[in-house]
Amino acid sequence: MYQAEIRKPLVTGGKSYADVTNDICRPIENKPSSSWWLGFSVALVLLLVLIGTLGWTTWEGIGTWGVNKTVMWGWDITNFVFWIGIGHAGTLISAILLLFRQKWRMSINRSAEAMTIFAVLCAAVFPLFHMGRVWLGYWPLPLPNAFGSLWVNFNSPLLWDVFAISTYFSVSLVFWYLGLIPDIATVRDRAKSKGRKFWYGFFAMGWNGSARTWARYEVVALILAGISTPLVLSVHTIVSFDFATSVIPGWHTTIFPPYFVAGAIFSGFGMVLTLLLVARHVMGYQDYITSEHLEAMCKVILLTGSIVGLAYITEFVIAAYSGYEYEQYAFMNRMFGPYAWAYWTMMTCNLIAPQVFWSKWARTTPWFIFIISIIVNIGMWFERFVIIVTSLHRDFLPSSWVMYKPTWVEAGIFAGTLGLFFTLFFLFAKFLPVINMSEVKTIIKDKE
Amino acid sequence: MKSSNQYWKGIDELEQTPEFVESEGREFYEGLPLDKVFSNDDSFRANRRDFLKFFGFSVGAVALAACNKTPVKYAMPYAIHPDNVTPGVPLHYASSSISDYEGFPMLVKVREGRPIKFEPNKEAEFYGGGLDGLAHASILSLYDTNRTPGAQKKIETAYDSIEWAEADEAIMKGLSSAASSGKQIAVVSRSSTSLLLKSAVEKLNEKYGNVVHVNYEPVSYSGILHANEQSFGKKAIPAYHFGKADVIVSFGADFLGTWISPVRFSADWGKNRVPKNGKMSKHIQFESLMSLSGANADVRVPMTASSTGAHLVTLYNELLQLAGSSMVSGPKKELAGQAIKHAAEDLWKARGKSLVVSGSNDVNDQIIVNAINTLLGNYGTTIDMNNHFNGYSGDDSSFKKFTSDVNSGRVGAAIFVDANPSYSHKSFGSLLSKIPLTVSNALIMDETARSCTYLTPDLHALESWDIKEPYVGSYVFNQPTIGPVFQGRQIAESLMVWSGQSNSASGDKTYTYELTKSIFDSKIGGDFNKAIERGFLMSTASASPVSLGVSPADAASKIGARKTSETNLVLYQKVGVRDGYFANTPWAHEMPDPVTKVCWDNYLSISKPDADKAGLKDGDVAKVTANGVTLDSIPVLIQPGQARGTYGIALGYGRMLPESVQNDLKDLGQNVYPMVDHSGNTCNYVISEGVSVEKVEGAYELARTQSHHTIEGRNIVREASLDAYNEDPYVTNHHKHNLVSLWEEHDYSKGHHWAMAIDLNSCTGCSACIVSCSIENNVPIVGRTEIRRRREMHWIRIDRYYSFEVPQAATVHIDKIMGDAEVSEGDYLTEEKKINNYTEDTSDALYDNVKVVHQPMLCQHCDHAPCETVCPVLATTHSGEGLNQMTYNRCIGTKYCANNCPYKVRRFNWFRFNENKKFDYHFSNDLGKMVINPDVTVRSRGVMEKCSFCVQRIQSAKLQAKREDRKMESDEFTTACAQTCPSKAIVFGDLNDPKSEISKLYNNERSYHVIEELDTKPSIVYMTKIRNKKEKSNNHVAHH
Repeated sequence: MYQAEIRKPLVTGGKSYADVTNDICRPIENKPSSSWWLGFSVALVLLLVLIGTLGWTTWEGIGTWGVNKTVMWGWDITNFVFWIGIGHAGTLISAILLLFRQKWRMSINRSAEAMTIFAVLCAAVFPLFHMGRVWLGYWPLPLPNAFGSLWVNFNSPLLWDVFAISTYFSVSLVFWYLGLIPDIATVRDRAKSKGRKFWYGFFAMGWNGSARTWARYEVVALILAGISTPLVLSVHTIVSFDFATSVIPGWHTTIFPPYFVAGAIFSGFGMVLTLLLVARHVMGYQDYITSEHLEAMCKVILLTGSIVGLAYITEFVIAAYSGYEYEQYAFMNRMFGPYAWAYWTMMTCNLIAPQVFWSKWARTTPWFIFIISIIVNIGMWFERFVIIVTSLHRDFLPSSWVMYKPTWVEAGIFAGTLGLFFTLFFLFAKFLPVINMSEVKTIIKDKE
Repeated sequence: MKSSNQYWKGIDELEQTPEFVESEGREFYEGLPLDKVFSNDDSFRANRRDFLKFFGFSVGAVALAACNKTPVKYAMPYAIHPDNVTPGVPLHYASSSISDYEGFPMLVKVREGRPIKFEPNKEAEFYGGGLDGLAHASILSLYDTNRTPGAQKKIETAYDSIEWAEADEAIMKGLSSAASSGKQIAVVSRSSTSLLLKSAVEKLNEKYGNVVHVNYEPVSYSGILHANEQSFGKKAIPAYHFGKADVIVSFGADFLGTWISPVRFSADWGKNRVPKNGKMSKHIQFESLMSLSGANADVRVPMTASSTGAHLVTLYNELLQLAGSSMVSGPKKELAGQAIKHAAEDLWKARGKSLVVSGSNDVNDQIIVNAINTLLGNYGTTIDMNNHFNGYSGDDSSFKKFTSDVNSGRVGAAIFVDANPSYSHKSFGSLLSKIPLTVSNALIMDETARSCTYLTPDLHALESWDIKEPYVGSYVFNQPTIGPVFQGRQIAESLMVWSGQSNSASGDKTYTYELTKSIFDSKIGGDFNKAIERGFLMSTASASPVSLGVSPADAASKIGARKTSETNLVLYQKVGVRDGYFANTPWAHEMPDPVTKVCWDNYLSISKPDADKAGLKDGDVAKVTANGVTLDSIPVLIQPGQARGTYGIALGYGRMLPESVQNDLKDLGQNVYPMVDHSGNTCNYVISEGVSVEKVEGAYELARTQSHHTIEGRNIVREASLDAYNEDPYVTNHHKHNLVSLWEEHDYSKGHHWAMAIDLNSCTGCSACIVSCSIENNVPIVGRTEIRRRREMHWIRIDRYYSFEVPQAATVHIDKIMGDAEVSEGDYLTEEKKINNYTEDTSDALYDNVKVVHQPMLCQHCDHAPCETVCPVLATTHSGEGLNQMTYNRCIGTKYCANNCPYKVRRFNWFRFNENKKFDYHFSNDLGKMVINPDVTVRSRGVMEKCSFCVQRIQSAKLQAKREDRKMESDEFTTACAQTCPSKAIVFGDLNDPKSEISKLYNNERSYHVIEELDTKPSIVYMTKIRNKKEKSNNHVAHH
């Protein structure tokens, strides 16, 4: 492949095609390391916590949470929006960057897409289990039914969520799986045991690597990228409608759609960085996920973080300008009210912290990026907490103003979704190629 | 003739093929495979193994299905259909309230033989046609599983069930031996107005002689009784007419909350609180605690409780001066802002149409009150001594005499009738063992019954016949509305039996019926059935002036000689719990206190400056010592408006209930009756000596339904002064927003359009509506912990806001962005930040002048309801009659609707509140469930609920009209809240009916919607609160 002189190579270390295959198939073909076992065990324990806390919630009722008569959504919807946001980086990288022909995406898109799918699964836990009667969770689906003339309410943003998220999940899953097929075929071809041959063979769907197969594959990938692209914008736009179309001061804000999308990408890249920095270190993929990649992602974080910060300030200015006392109070309350600590945590983490990425050193120093990526994750969680809880806890009638404190059950569910996420991620790292071998091979210069 | 048309089923038939012809004659076209079945072909027949397999599966499946235990529910049809009972149709019986002993006319709603709700008797105009929270709550006492089942005898320390005959024999023997040894037989009763009890006691006296009837009141009004005896020769409480008074001055009498007969007083007071022709009554309250009456007063000035007498003398002298008479010598003590002088001027202007009352239980204080009212000529107009009140006749001095008789062994037997002195009297419990025979009629094992030798449980009032005489010549009748739930016997009957009377029933009439009828015939006369049906008879005697037969100067000089103290502990009653007799009724505790909004506990209320001095804040605990009694730790609550140096603790808590009570009623609060001062002739509830309060280690979170107490300058509650209103009736309602809606308007042109109006002027915040609504709509009791978690389930709540009058102008710092604000003297501060920062910088005087508003808040049934659009499954929808309706069965519990409700009135079923040991109230036992209203669904866990505008009442009224083939009148029925409101602040009706009261009120100049700029188009209008007060500055009309 041609490489421009002024551009740094996207994959370093002078890798040959064989090196790529060997490097990336190594974790799949070898026994898992002790660090994998350790991480996987911790994740699995947390997954059990998820099962336990969800079981308790279902058995006893939502009363086991800290939500109350005024703040009816607390950590549940905070976590929902948090996880949905996390997913966005995957779609952005695989769809939009594909259309923009950003080739640096190739070594990170696989894991970012996997992250999308796992994050959406984690997110789905919350809208489902925040229902008082989770066993009727299928009622928001427009299914023909025998309940009489009952139908769903197309005015409700929650219903839009149902459509948006299910579409998002299914398109992401198909896109991810399609991209995996050539690589699964590679693993199949290298497989030595019967079982591996069968299972990888099954999922490779008879991939034979012919020119015709490749041609069709690329067309389908492009079409799916086209379908996914609007989803990057639509999903979080619709999630933001849950708040924007309501009447609650602090929620009822027209800026929410772009601000939520930017925030989602911001948080998604934060999470991608967190994961990749660890994976890169543990699996020794420094040559594939180079500091070029890190730098590019840091730039995205800097950009989206600044957009989000601008949105925070815009919101405040609009509230001040609106002459609407309830809106004004909501924002004053965020800054100086009883949850001010959460607001300032959010501001520090999301607006101030990413500004360090103006420095090239910061953008290229992995341990430093790791710290910032964690800060971004924390900050974006707090953003959702601030939006949901501080708006609700003091709305129109001061008589109903309350404080909200989560219980151990809510904390357990959140920790549990982390467990679900990492369990899936560890399994992914063990059984599937975390880097897209076939695509990466198109961007290296094999000496042979 | 045969038709030429031929129809055929198939070609075969048309062609009449041989196969067809052959098969047509057979029942089964293809024939039955009989030959196969009877052949020896095993493949076709089930073999032994298959048989066993199928058999095993079937048995297993049946066994599994049988393991699923289906609850067995018995529905017993009537063997003999009783007259008048139609399943599904409620019956209303006139009866009298059970929570107050004077007797108060009301209706009992009975469904299929079960009393399920109390409703006011609207015909009893004099009583106001309302009920209070405790009256509603007390229905649960009928279905209390802790009621004693039958007669009990005490053996050692335990109780054992005995036959009634055995108990009667033993008690009669005890009474005879007491009589023969020349000792007293005492009947100790709450100051009941029951004629049955009275005649039974007379009978007992006839039989044994030496029977004394001791009236005992835990919270007594002896001061008034004695003062009236000295002043007018009548030892009674007069009838007060607050509605006839243009100026009301109260010295610590919480007549809207707890003083004497608050339901009637609220109704009466409410009559003159809505401005008519530019006039309304002026209510001035001088008090030390923040009472419900104080919260509703036009002018409220904090006063040190132990100086009440001095202030009364000062007022008397001011009035004497205005009258041109010579003043009496006595203490002179003005209040802040020359409040007493101003009050005197107002009173003098309204001579003959004014009323001065005092909550003091001191005889001399009350003599001065009598002198003031005589001077003002109020007797005969606002005070009626002729038709005086019979309730609260308990006299502290006679009980004192009784205790000394007991102590010296002069009492041979004591029968306690609804009286529980072991609980409410400091030293009585230890004296009980000095009486050889003690009998209690308590329904549940109370503190006194625990130490009695016999327990002969009474019938519940709803199971009893009775005639009460609350006012002279006015009678209220009690009829049983259910057969005895437990093996009790009405105390009047028991006393008759012990007097040697035969209680055998004649025919199908019970003994108590015969007794009631004979008393009616001999004492009252007339048509008994008609009287019972109506429920009450009113006296027709008119009021007349009286002359004072006592020298006020003496009283004044005695007051002058009295020691006063700046540090006082006031022992008061809470609106919900009152004196504690019904403390085992969970609704009395689940109902928030109208002022503090605390449920379930009592606490030390303290003024802000005192709290700051003692280093106390809300949630701390303190050690309190008063009158030689120490409470080691009691939670602290800072009460704005409370007089400095005054502490308050509510009576009625710390009851010792039967051991089977394991819910939040167990060990609830602390008993402060031992702190009551019994040293004088009358009990003193203001403790001035040896009062100390200190902070101790620990914390206690009170369960409060409201934790933010100021309105933050928001235009939610509108109020104006009477002057401003007279100048411009639309005073607060001029500003309208230019609203544009994206939604289509609902069409209400046909049928009904339900709406409600709530007058903030007459609403006192008494919270009766909360309990009435909850019982009507099967709202669960959630208990203290859930209220702490802010999850009370009330469908209607009363928001209460404080605002503080600025004593001196200052610059207050608000926050970093908004900077500083100027406040001038006389402004009312409603913003938390300004209030906190003002007091930090300047003075605590801010907390002295507090203005309180109450605002009932319930589902507003918005036409553009934010909740309706966001439900994904259409579980909440709009009806064609303007109701916002909730479909519980469809609700999946996303809670989005509640988040999007600007009024925060939606309630979520966080747990299953019925059949749940964690919520062990009446919904969790079979007896308690009898009170459930069968017209309203008991909601399951995980669904949202809220006010339905009592849709079940709307439907039943519509059905009734339809059955009778007529048009429904909108005033035929009303909602549970409107029905019970003592001050008639809530009006419900049909806007499409031009004659209805609601359609007039909807267009009243005072009517507005809460947060109308949000354009939710609520179906509830609130009516601007008008205060009869001169405002220094009018800062609430400003644009927001």
